[in-house]
Amino acid sequence: MAHVDAQMSATEAPALRFARAALWGFARVFSILLVLVVWEALARSGKYTPYQLPALTAVLGRIWDDAVTGDLAINTALTLYRALVSFAICAVLGTAIGMAMSRNKIANWFFDPIVSVGFPMPKIAFLPVVILWLGVYDVSKITIIVIDAIFPVIAATVVGIQAVERELIWSARNMGATNREVLTQVVFPAALPQIMTGLQVALPLTLIVAVVAEMLMGGYGLGGAMMTASRFANSVGVFAGIVEIAVIGYVMVKGMSMIRRRLLIWHQEANEPTTA
Amino acid sequence: MPGPAQIIVDSVSHMYRPPRGREVLALDQVSLEVGNREFVALLGPSGCGKSTLLYLIGGFLPVEKGLISVDGAPVTGPGPDRGIVFQHFALFPWKTVRGNILYGLERQGMAKDEREKRAMDFIHLVGLSGFEDSYPSQLSGGMKQRTAIARTLAFDPKILLMDEPFGALDAQTRGLMQAELLRIWQMTPKTVIFVTHDVQEAVYLADRVAVMSARPGRIKTIVDTKFDKNDPNLFKTKAFGEKVDEIWNLVRDEAIKAQGTRVP
Repeated sequence: MAHVDAQMSATEAPALRFARAALWGFARVFSILLVLVVWEALARSGKYTPYQLPALTAVLGRIWDDAVTGDLAINTALTLYRALVSFAICAVLGTAIGMAMSRNKIANWFFDPIVSVGFPMPKIAFLPVVILWLGVYDVSKITIIVIDAIFPVIAATVVGIQAVERELIWSARNMGATNREVLTQVVFPAALPQIMTGLQVALPLTLIVAVVAEMLMGGYGLGGAMMTASRFANSVGVFAGIVEIAVIGYVMVKGMSMIRRRLLIWHQEANEPTTA
Repeated sequence: MPGPAQIIVDSVSHMYRPPRGREVLALDQVSLEVGNREFVALLGPSGCGKSTLLYLIGGFLPVEKGLISVDGAPVTGPGPDRGIVFQHFALFPWKTVRGNILYGLERQGMAKDEREKRAMDFIHLVGLSGFEDSYPSQLSGGMKQRTAIARTLAFDPKILLMDEPFGALDAQTRGLMQAELLRIWQMTPKTVIFVTHDVQEAVYLADRVAVMSARPGRIKTIVDTKFDKNDPNLFKTKAFGEKVDEIWNLVRDEAIKAQGTRVP
């Protein structure tokens, strides 16, 4: 479809093309805009108190104020720091464990039951234990995030490596690659699309658990700020947190899919159908 | 067979062990000798173990019973003296045409300038000039197989093992690729073992055709198929047609048996 559109628009005047692009861009965000408009209309209708539902404009004003005072930057930076450090740990450790499980029988024997039990369970249940052992600061927050978000990375790595064609490995061996070279130069890149999918599942999880951990442990950070606002019956502050988290989550996921396209430029999914 | 044998397969048997289910005898007491620079086709119904035999010669599967030797030394693992080309190309999809060809040359420790030049030479040889920076996902099946052939030829194996290399291509592309392979083979003569289930392809390409029986695979007969490959009317000659018929009759019985005893 997009292909046909592009062909048609090539013959159109620039102004018309711009109008089409603007309309298309608007259509894509229409449902979000509708939610926001309804929100503002309901808040202004007088049916609800500002305590129950503050107006969107009031919430945006609050975000602006927080941005000016620097609170927004501090809270966002802290939450992002916790989420992204955890994500990095999940990426490195999860891929390493997954690769070890695929290559080594003992590693597989050890980790496979843990993954089978751990993947489906609600790991946030470990939070009280983590607090008891590690306290309520960054170490314990990052720990609970890693516990939660590492499983999809491990599972995707194992599945990805299992799916690598033996002919690919044989080709590399045929050309003189050592076992180590086969792993790093063939198995890993061949499994990368799957591993990336695991990372794309893990990334929003890190943000979710970061916010939840902050809410339950308190302190600075977006989750902590929302709980503080809630305790002071500061409805605008709570909704401001929700909007901020939504925006951050969206940017994170978008950024990740851009990285995916970059890394997997060679992959079928990156191509329009070719003339070949 | 001209001269002493380069590849000797001596009473090799092989059990195939599926992850579930009981094991199957894939090859039963197979013996075969292939001379230096000879082109031999392995022909047989699907499931007769012809690919397995190729993988054993390539060193990708362990020889458990019998002996395979190449130039007098027993085969114990894969080596760049025996280059393989697979039906589904097995190109590295994250590398370009050039990158795929360079990979083997890097592993062989060739100097940078030399390997860059060699890669371009072989891209030219298989007619892919202009596509050296394309990824495999951007190429047609025939172009992928050209790349795979160039990649294998580039590291200069003495022996070329081809596992139904044109089996995944459409009929027209297959015809072109067969002629192309003969042309390349005449330019860079190598010993070739070519697995196929296409009788005409086998007779056209090979010096000798080894017809294999249905599972468990044995060599049923070996038929001489030397023709003037450069004759543009070869396919229309009576001698060629009779040879195809003769071999087709040998294969047909086995194909029927294979249908009946096919393990699902």
